[in-house]
Amino acid sequence: MSTDRTPKYRQEIQQMMFVSGETAEPSVETTTLIEEIVRQQVVEILARSTALATRRGVRSISTDDLIFLIRHDKAKVSRLKTFLSWKDVRKNVKDSDDKGGADAADFAAADDPIAGGVVAGPQDVASKPKNKRARVGLAWDVNSFYSVQVPEREDEEDEEEEEQNYATLQRLAAADERTKHMTREEYVFWSECRQASFTYRKSKRFREWAGFGIVTESKPNDDIVDILGFLTFEIVQTLTEEALKVKEREDREKNRRGGADNGEDSKKRKRETGLFDPPEEGRTPVEPKHIREAYRKLQATPNKNIAMLLHNGRVPARMPLRLI
Amino acid sequence: MSLGHHHAWLPPGHLRPPDDLHDARSANGYSRSFSGARTPQLRASADADGLHAGTLISDADLAADDDPRIAMFRDLYKRSEAQINDLFANQKSAEEAARSAVADAEETQTKSQRADESAPPPAPAKKPARKLDDDDYDDYDDDDDDDEAPTPPKPKSLGTSHDPSGLPSPSRPSSGSVSVVIEAQKETKKETLEDIRKKLEQDKKATEEAAKRSFHTLFYTLENDRDAMLDQQRLEESERQVEAEMSGQANAGNNPNSNSNGYGSLSSANLGASSLTLKNLIARIDMKRTMVQASDAELRSLMSEVRKNRSKWASEDKIGQEELYEAAEKVLSELKAMTEHSTAFLTRVNKRDAPDYYTIIKHPMDLGTMTKKLKALQYKSKQEFVDDINLIWSNCFKYNTNPEHFLRKHALYMKKETEKLVPLIPEIVIRDRAEVEAEERRLQLAEMDGADESDDEPIMSSRGRKAPGKSSKKGAAPVRNTPSGSEPPAGQASQPPAPVRSDSDTVMEGTQNGFPTPPPGGTQTPSDPAGVGAGVQGSQGDAMEIDGLIPSNNNTLTALPASGVESEDPEYKVWKQVTKKDRAVIAAERHRLFKGDKLNSEEPALLRTKAGMRRWLRNQMQINAEGDKARESTAQGLDPGAAGETLAEGIEVDEDRVIPDYYDVMSGVPDLPPHLSWKEDSDGNIVDASEEFLRVLPSGSFTQPDSKLSRKMDANMRQMQETRKVCSKIGIVKQMQLQSQMYQNQFQKYQPEPFVEHDVPAHVMNDGGPVISPWVCKAALQRSVAKIFYHTGFEEYQPSALDAVTDIASDFFQKIGETLKSYMETPKLPATETPEPNTAPQWKRAYTEPEMVLHTLSSVGVDVESLESYIKDDVERLGTKLSTAHDRLRSLLSELLRPALADGGEDGSSAFQDGSEQFIGGDFAEDIDEDFFGFKELGLDREFGLATLSVPLHLLQNRMYNAAQAQNTSAAQAVTLFPPPPAYPRITSETLSSQIGLVQGFLGAKLKTSNSESLVEDLELPPKQRPTAARPRLPASGKIQPPAAASGLTTSPQKRPLPPSAASQQPASKLGMSEPSKKKVKKNSGASIGASESVVEGEEALPGADGTKASATTAVKPNPADEPSVDATPDLSGKRDMDTGPDGVGAESVDNAAPLTNGTVAVDAS
Repeated sequence: MSTDRTPKYRQEIQQMMFVSGETAEPSVETTTLIEEIVRQQVVEILARSTALATRRGVRSISTDDLIFLIRHDKAKVSRLKTFLSWKDVRKNVKDSDDKGGADAADFAAADDPIAGGVVAGPQDVASKPKNKRARVGLAWDVNSFYSVQVPEREDEEDEEEEEQNYATLQRLAAADERTKHMTREEYVFWSECRQASFTYRKSKRFREWAGFGIVTESKPNDDIVDILGFLTFEIVQTLTEEALKVKEREDREKNRRGGADNGEDSKKRKRETGLFDPPEEGRTPVEPKHIREAYRKLQATPNKNIAMLLHNGRVPARMPLRLI
Repeated sequence: MSLGHHHAWLPPGHLRPPDDLHDARSANGYSRSFSGARTPQLRASADADGLHAGTLISDADLAADDDPRIAMFRDLYKRSEAQINDLFANQKSAEEAARSAVADAEETQTKSQRADESAPPPAPAKKPARKLDDDDYDDYDDDDDDDEAPTPPKPKSLGTSHDPSGLPSPSRPSSGSVSVVIEAQKETKKETLEDIRKKLEQDKKATEEAAKRSFHTLFYTLENDRDAMLDQQRLEESERQVEAEMSGQANAGNNPNSNSNGYGSLSSANLGASSLTLKNLIARIDMKRTMVQASDAELRSLMSEVRKNRSKWASEDKIGQEELYEAAEKVLSELKAMTEHSTAFLTRVNKRDAPDYYTIIKHPMDLGTMTKKLKALQYKSKQEFVDDINLIWSNCFKYNTNPEHFLRKHALYMKKETEKLVPLIPEIVIRDRAEVEAEERRLQLAEMDGADESDDEPIMSSRGRKAPGKSSKKGAAPVRNTPSGSEPPAGQASQPPAPVRSDSDTVMEGTQNGFPTPPPGGTQTPSDPAGVGAGVQGSQGDAMEIDGLIPSNNNTLTALPASGVESEDPEYKVWKQVTKKDRAVIAAERHRLFKGDKLNSEEPALLRTKAGMRRWLRNQMQINAEGDKARESTAQGLDPGAAGETLAEGIEVDEDRVIPDYYDVMSGVPDLPPHLSWKEDSDGNIVDASEEFLRVLPSGSFTQPDSKLSRKMDANMRQMQETRKVCSKIGIVKQMQLQSQMYQNQFQKYQPEPFVEHDVPAHVMNDGGPVISPWVCKAALQRSVAKIFYHTGFEEYQPSALDAVTDIASDFFQKIGETLKSYMETPKLPATETPEPNTAPQWKRAYTEPEMVLHTLSSVGVDVESLESYIKDDVERLGTKLSTAHDRLRSLLSELLRPALADGGEDGSSAFQDGSEQFIGGDFAEDIDEDFFGFKELGLDREFGLATLSVPLHLLQNRMYNAAQAQNTSAAQAVTLFPPPPAYPRITSETLSSQIGLVQGFLGAKLKTSNSESLVEDLELPPKQRPTAARPRLPASGKIQPPAAASGLTTSPQKRPLPPSAASQQPASKLGMSEPSKKKVKKNSGASIGASESVVEGEEALPGADGTKASATTAVKPNPADEPSVDATPDLSGKRDMDTGPDGVGAESVDNAAPLTNGTVAVDAS
């Protein structure tokens, strides 16, 4: 995979960045850099989950392995669970009643991995009681404490779901903030961009790109690929948001120093400009340096990881890569 | 024995041993003066007795020819006695001013003797003789003392031991006359020499004293110890070398001991055949053998030592040899002992080191060679010896021409020393005995006054050593090894206080001979409680060294610029010199422990000795005593001594060292903390100080403190346990539904123990602060960790895993603690920005407590939010999750059980609570402790070893479940709005008449066939037994068989009459009759298996007779036959057992058969 360095996901990354709030058009360098970072992360994820699977004594990665890697990010986990459960529903629907093909297609469109990244629309499908959502159980859940499978019960709303809903609402609010000032066309474009994915309908390309078969021996199944698609979207989004923050701060610094020169910059509001507007004065896209800085920040080792090295412990020269 | 005497009379040719001098120290004063006050008197009287006795004995022993000598003895004795008494009188008054050496020596001896008082007094008659003979040994041998000690006049013997030393000399005036001349000539010169030496030694003493005082004031480090050790080692090495070389020369006259003839055999060694002295001693020892606590070998060695002592250099044939050689040897060893400077001169110059040495130096000489020569008796005179010494230095100067050469400095130093020491060697030219004797005889003849002395009695003037065999009298005289023996009467006359000298002399001898191992006498003397000062006397060699060194020190100080010896603090120098040997010994001791840079595990450990501790304590007391000098009273001074004595009780030889206490770290005795000391109040009761420092560890130190969080966690854990209980029930029920054959012990009941944290038992601590008990603390932490694990969902853990996590946790908490500590110990800051100049600045901590905690948390990567979210998510939310899971599982369980419970009213199962234990376990009767079915009464449980008499659950469950299923399907729809009408009474012969007439006949016939039992309605039968339920079927043959004879039920499709067994066994029960028939219907419907059927039936009939086996086959065999109808199995077996049950108890023995019976009974009977 490392031999082929030509960027493959420029379009997608651009779209994702746009969705994440970068309104200007990022340069090729930027997207390439992001792509490399994402790929590094994906490879790391695959390697670690393979190691986990091996530890379990299994050769192939399961979804649990992937989720385990991001277990500390509760919001992400719950969204992933939701996504997986809906995916399951969709499959069931497809399998069970062929008659509602169109329906299922709609359903799939509304709730495919891309949507999972941004909006999980449970209310859409929740109206169809037949398609009971299967819960995605995790090995470290309470239910696994017991030797007997704890029966599901419809009526009980999990607290985690509330939390997840809260996180979803947050995301929706953020998206709403971004799209508030958009024109209709812009919004349409924006919502199209939301569907950008590394994996959707590009499964083969993704496999090649991420080095499946090299990093892992087994062939990850669709679920894994979908999860990775979801995660890659998240990675790009996080990076972009962080980079935007970095850039904003940098701009502020610049303004403070040379406030007289381009004072108007400080007044500009990002959201007011559409993607297709000619870039305003000083409106510059995120540059690789911002991305680097953002990446550095995201890679910073938290104290917790080196707490045991306090007092005469030596911090190792190289800390393991942090997953974003 | 005033000091004046002491000084006036000086033994020629001998260095004054240090013992004489150290008494000047005030430190020794008290004990000495104390004893001095007493002993002299004792001695005085003893002297009188002793000498008389001695004369008596000698009379007895000796021929008349001794008479004149005896007379002279007596004469002399009287004189000396008078003098002594006189002296003692003086001394008493002058006690505080000066202490005599005699008193000193005696004091120690008397002390030891006093300790030995238990021994019975020896025969007075013998004692004096011994005394005369042994007096020399007294100083050395404690064992000898032991013998003599018991007598109260014992001190006398000591006293006399000194006295005769002066006396014997007069006894030999005739024999010694020749030498007398010589000696007399030298007399004056010796006096001056002695004076010089005396002064030197006094100076030495003074400096030494000062230095010793200063030991307390300065702290010396170990830096020079290594050098000292190496020097010492070199010295020893050279000595050893010399020794080795000398030994090569065999005993060529080296030991020309006059007594050597007595050493031939072991016994003779002990007997000392040569002299009566020893004979008497040995006789004495033999007499008191039981009291002498020494083995024969020890005694023997002591003897031989004593013998040797007096005659190392002594020679029968060489006159003057002993004096010369002893002095020379001493000088030599002193020179050698100055290791700081002498090292280079100890051995021959190696040609490798200095190739051209022997071309320049034609006559090489070194101290080692000199020692060799000395031992080989190659020196004939003092001059030869001195020449050799000077040759060494001059060689050095000659070879090392460079004035800056370091060896020159050493040589210079050594030369100065030599010059100082050389005068101490007597100017003696050794002469052959023959020569001397010839002279003597000549003189004798001339004088004619000693005519009565026998010719064969060779009297050597030099040593007082006389030929073997002859008179003990003579033996007594020679005992004096001192040249004083050779001293003429003139000397004696002029020096009345001879005893003093003799005393010093004897000790001196100890010094001379005792270099490697100081003789007991030598050690004994310094061991007196004098304190640090006394320590100087530790070993004779040491003392000698000091003797030699101190003046040298003085010299060096003056000669510093000239000699160019490195300038040092004089005190330090003194310290170095005085303590060198001991430091070397200590350093060597330590050094031995090392091999390379590692500790050598093979080496014996350094052990603290009682003697060392005693010394230490003594010194401590001494220091304390010095602290309050105001009360410098005798008692005060004595105290430490007494304490010191009691401690070790002479178990170990008190080997004193000239080393301050801090040097001997091992012997240190820590102070007792005041609260531990033994205190008594005025009434003599012990004051219990324990209350002041003992405290009971408050309970709960090792349990989880009660808090909201802990309570929540505990609740969660309890919840988990409950849920697991439910889970296990569910598991059992599920498995029972699947499995047909079950065993009671197949399921482990989940019976979790409640969590109880045990605290440590009541524990008493003796100080504040936390409990330092790593194991307990670790166990407590481990428990907490395990608790958290359980809370996270683990049920059990591997110990190693738990250990690992515990270690990590403790590590982590240690980090937290360290961080917190470092924050707490941050230097304080001034409280106010600008402190007022006149007020003391206010200080405050750099961080407030919350700040500290927050900083610490953040440095370990934890913040309050994460802690909070842990509690929220992992504790509280977990609790809710757990309770929902519990609810769900409970409902699942009740759902599983519901079918049986819903219609349980019929068979009474609703009597049990939903999901109750009994229902799962099936042991209904057990709980109420009632023998429900009388099985226990029958002894069934014991007979078949049944654990419980509970219903086989799979059976129960299956039956109930199936029954419920069946009924639910049919009866579920038909909701009964009204209670069903009462059942019709059964038709019996009595009620027959109430029936309608049409059927009366029919019913009557029925009744008749059933032996007038009441008829059972078909509806009352279980569904499958209802005759109507089973329609007539075509057999496999396809032919409809004609209805059977009217033996069975008319409506039933029974093809055969009831088997005789069933009919006969169960005549009363219609139910019972109907069942077998039903079964047979089914069987027959399968195939024509009449034969097997009959077998089965036949066996069935047998149970009573055939017991267990038969019923086992019946239980199993029908199954294949019943295959067509699956659910018939339980029914069938049940019914069959019903048949056999009442009469064939034994039939139920087989494990699975027994529960079957129970089950059936439970259901059907109810």
